Amino acid sequence: MLNEETPKTVLQFDPFLLIPVIALMTIGVLFIFSSGVNSSGVIVSDEYKRQLFWVGLALILMLTFSYVSYNVLKDFSFYIFLLFMVLLVLTLIFGKVVNGARAWLGVFGLGGQPSEFTKIATILLLARFLKQHQANIKKLSVIFRAVGILLIPMFLILRQPDTGTTLVFIPLFLFMLFVAGAKVRHILYVALTGFLAIVIALYPSIEAMVLHQDNGLGTLLTSLNLVGVVALSFMLISVLSWLGWKKYKSTVLYWCLYFFSLAFFALLVGTLLRHVLKDYQVMRFIVFLNPSIDPRGSGWNLLQSMTAIGSGGLTGKGFLAGTQSHYRFLPMQSTDFIFSILGEEWGFWGGLLVFGFYGLLLGRLLWIMYHIKDVYGILVIGGFVAVFATHLFINVGMTIGIMPVTGIPLYFMSYGGSSLIAASIAVGIAMNIYNRRFMY
Amino acid sequence: MSKIDSVPGAQTSKNRVILLAIFIGLIVGVYIVHLFSMQVIQTQKYKERATVISQRTIDIPAKRGEIFDRHADVPLVRNVDSFQIDFNPADVPPGQVPLVLSKLAVLLKTPYTDLDTRVPLSSYPIYQNIELRKGVDYQTIASVAERLNELPGVSWRSTPIRDYIDNGSLAHVIGYVGNITQDELQVLYNQGYGIHSVIGKNGIEKKFDMILRGKDGTRFRTVDVNGRSVDSPRTAEIAPIPGHDIVLTIDRTYQKIAQEALGPRNGSVVILRPSTGEILAMVSYPYYDANVFYTDHAATEFDRLQTDPAFPFLNRAIQSAYPAGSVFKLVMTTAALGENVIDPKKKIFCGPSYKLAGQVFREHIPNGFGWIDLATALADSADVYYYQLGEEYLGIDKIDNYSKKFGLGQITGIDLPGEVQGLVPTPKWKERVLNYPWLGGDTVNLSIGQGYLQVTPLQMADVAAMIINNGKIYRPYVVKEILDPITKKVVEETKPELEYEMKLPDKVWSEVRADMRGVITRGTADVVVTTHATEVAGKTGTAEDGAKGSSNHSWFVSYAPYNETDPSKQIVVVVQVERTNRWEWWAPKAANIIFQAIFGHQTYEQAVKELHPWYM
Repeated sequence: MLNEETPKTVLQFDPFLLIPVIALMTIGVLFIFSSGVNSSGVIVSDEYKRQLFWVGLALILMLTFSYVSYNVLKDFSFYIFLLFMVLLVLTLIFGKVVNGARAWLGVFGLGGQPSEFTKIATILLLARFLKQHQANIKKLSVIFRAVGILLIPMFLILRQPDTGTTLVFIPLFLFMLFVAGAKVRHILYVALTGFLAIVIALYPSIEAMVLHQDNGLGTLLTSLNLVGVVALSFMLISVLSWLGWKKYKSTVLYWCLYFFSLAFFALLVGTLLRHVLKDYQVMRFIVFLNPSIDPRGSGWNLLQSMTAIGSGGLTGKGFLAGTQSHYRFLPMQSTDFIFSILGEEWGFWGGLLVFGFYGLLLGRLLWIMYHIKDVYGILVIGGFVAVFATHLFINVGMTIGIMPVTGIPLYFMSYGGSSLIAASIAVGIAMNIYNRRFMY
Repeated sequence: MSKIDSVPGAQTSKNRVILLAIFIGLIVGVYIVHLFSMQVIQTQKYKERATVISQRTIDIPAKRGEIFDRHADVPLVRNVDSFQIDFNPADVPPGQVPLVLSKLAVLLKTPYTDLDTRVPLSSYPIYQNIELRKGVDYQTIASVAERLNELPGVSWRSTPIRDYIDNGSLAHVIGYVGNITQDELQVLYNQGYGIHSVIGKNGIEKKFDMILRGKDGTRFRTVDVNGRSVDSPRTAEIAPIPGHDIVLTIDRTYQKIAQEALGPRNGSVVILRPSTGEILAMVSYPYYDANVFYTDHAATEFDRLQTDPAFPFLNRAIQSAYPAGSVFKLVMTTAALGENVIDPKKKIFCGPSYKLAGQVFREHIPNGFGWIDLATALADSADVYYYQLGEEYLGIDKIDNYSKKFGLGQITGIDLPGEVQGLVPTPKWKERVLNYPWLGGDTVNLSIGQGYLQVTPLQMADVAAMIINNGKIYRPYVVKEILDPITKKVVEETKPELEYEMKLPDKVWSEVRADMRGVITRGTADVVVTTHATEVAGKTGTAEDGAKGSSNHSWFVSYAPYNETDPSKQIVVVVQVERTNRWEWWAPKAANIIFQAIFGHQTYEQAVKELHPWYM
């Protein structure tokens, strides 16, 4: 504890983290600028100037967090989490609507999206919880309690409604469980429950709009009475299996419990989800499954984005020379679809560059996880890796048509202060963890 | 911090980190491969799609063909330069829309409110052209163009309109044009029509729309997602191809004479050249002025015409079928001679009425005609003679057979839209439609052209043509030639086309013609057909329709000159005056004036002056 005040490496910023972050930020500002130039070459948006300001602020905060000991964050993680839960509730009540979600909270124009920072707060708390219960990590009860923590922010963010950000919590959680050493079958249990719940929530719409057939399952799932009966019977079987397994320790009964309770939870969550999800949220998934359903409506973004990227070719059309973007066919090109304008103007090489820097960033974070000893640090960075990777895969995936259109930003590049600052703070915390690696 | 914290499971943790790194690396790999496939392998597909999406086209309207009468000198229909003024409020600096509109109102000489009501506040932010005014002339556009820098958002485009020059009764033949409807578009979409197409709605404009319309040109422009034009070197143009001109068979002097001779009476006149089938005049009263459809009160005017009880849109010469009445006796006479069922010289007794199965069929004069032969029967239109001829000598099958051979109950095939086929009743027809057997009384009625028989004036003109042509009917037509719009050379010429043929000895035809001449010289028409300009032959008709006591249709089916060796000099004139008019037996009277004017080379007024008819 003595040497905590004098780590030699405190002011040495890990270049393997700093370089990719600054590079991605620079590319981001360039394409935010590009997206603000109209077809006549006139700059019609000053978003790039504001982004430059955010970049400055983000770098300062990143360095600040790399200096302040993360142990302080650990100790206060519960209160930090609590603070953000309150902020999320306040957002639901007083928040401003941004892109269809009541996500922005602030006064006098000063504020941000609490949901972005909630990811960090949740990671900090989950890491502490998992570390405290590491001895019992193989027990399902610990996992259930962790799920309990997780569901609070997820529910509040889904109510905004911001599906994309909500979904990010799932890989975040699974990733941290995995790193914490939870049993794979328990992780699979959570993953399968989540996946099944989503399928159950969406299936009636899928049946009607994609499959164009009625095989009865959709009707079954939409009838609350039927679902109740099925869920109740699943629960009953689960309880019986659990009692039997307690008594006889039979493997068959264990898997019986495993699958039936899984199905029960999935049915419960899925049905709940269907009543929470808005039509347009469902539509995005449907369009992802079949973009031609509504080429001028929900499918428009997807088709335009793929057209922009595909037409970019190997070398791209050149900076500021994209046609789809400058003729404003691309939607939200400075935020969610920034990868599309990059793909159109810089082509495959530009995309490779972004993946290269992201690879460097994620690789370095994983390398740190591998080399440090502090479990809390490992878990926190694990959560960050999960969030960064998820954002990268969902955001880029949606622009190239292999992920549904769920509006989540591409970290460090998309226009917007909250996501940029949150991600930078995360990197700052990671730097701090790395700098203090010798203290354990 | 105790060391214990980090020790348990540390190795597992490290292995799992490696697994995660591999997992993330694999996904990154998949993404890169996918990106490579899109941007390098399939890039051509997306490049094509990108051009399609960002290019839009504007139609450049093709000049529609002009329409001439048979002399092909002065157009009956031409195109007039006309402009439409559009306004795009999103192009105007904020708050200046009212200012721009008030400046424009002064230039257009229109009240400000006129323009203001067309640009609602809600449209201000929308980048879309609003149609401010149609039918603006060139001078006004020029004055707007001079001040264009003060009028942001204002633009115009050329929308040539049709000018139907003083056509009068030609409205039915020529028709008019209008914007394509949804229903029309569904049928014609694959034939080069678009949602902004102008299409012929009636007459020649409709029937020959494909020939008249030409092919619209296209201007390509690159646009952004809001439809805003973007300056681009890719702007290109495909020039429009003007439509062909059409020369009608109509002779505008004949048309004018026929129109004036018919006067303000609901009815129609057809003047036909029997040797070819050319329609020289076709009048249907009431007619309409198609030019009103291009004025600002087009909609109300259209509604008024549509609901007019006199049906001004109806071309009565081809779109309305009437009972033929006594003009049907031409068919009966031909059948009697052709079938040789009666000696034409044989006199049969014609009392005041004819009785069949308790039913009494009256003569049109109280005492009857006594003993008369076929020629006298036609001249005096003796109904009782034809009752007996039909019922006792010919029978329904032969009457039907001859009717069909004359083309009755079938379309004439004229090159105008909407022709009706009329009706020749047969026993089979009656049983099928009315579910009642054919009776002798039906044959008796049909013998004088009454009952279920329905014919159009043009069909009756064809009947006369067959008699003149010794058994040949040429398909009637109004389009004589199609001209190249630039060189004015004939591209296509309509050739006479034999449509119906009846093989009977020439002797039969000349006898029918002689009997028709008798109608004028010693029969029903001798008092009204007074012209000496030519020798007229014909048949009058007075057709009853519907309720007793109501007025009758007046028919006159005629041709002249009677004894002409050169058939190309002969014309058929059919006049039909509906019973809706005051009864004045006008059909033969109108024909009298028409023949006088045409063969005397006079105007209507001159003809009337020369004839000085007792009935006027």
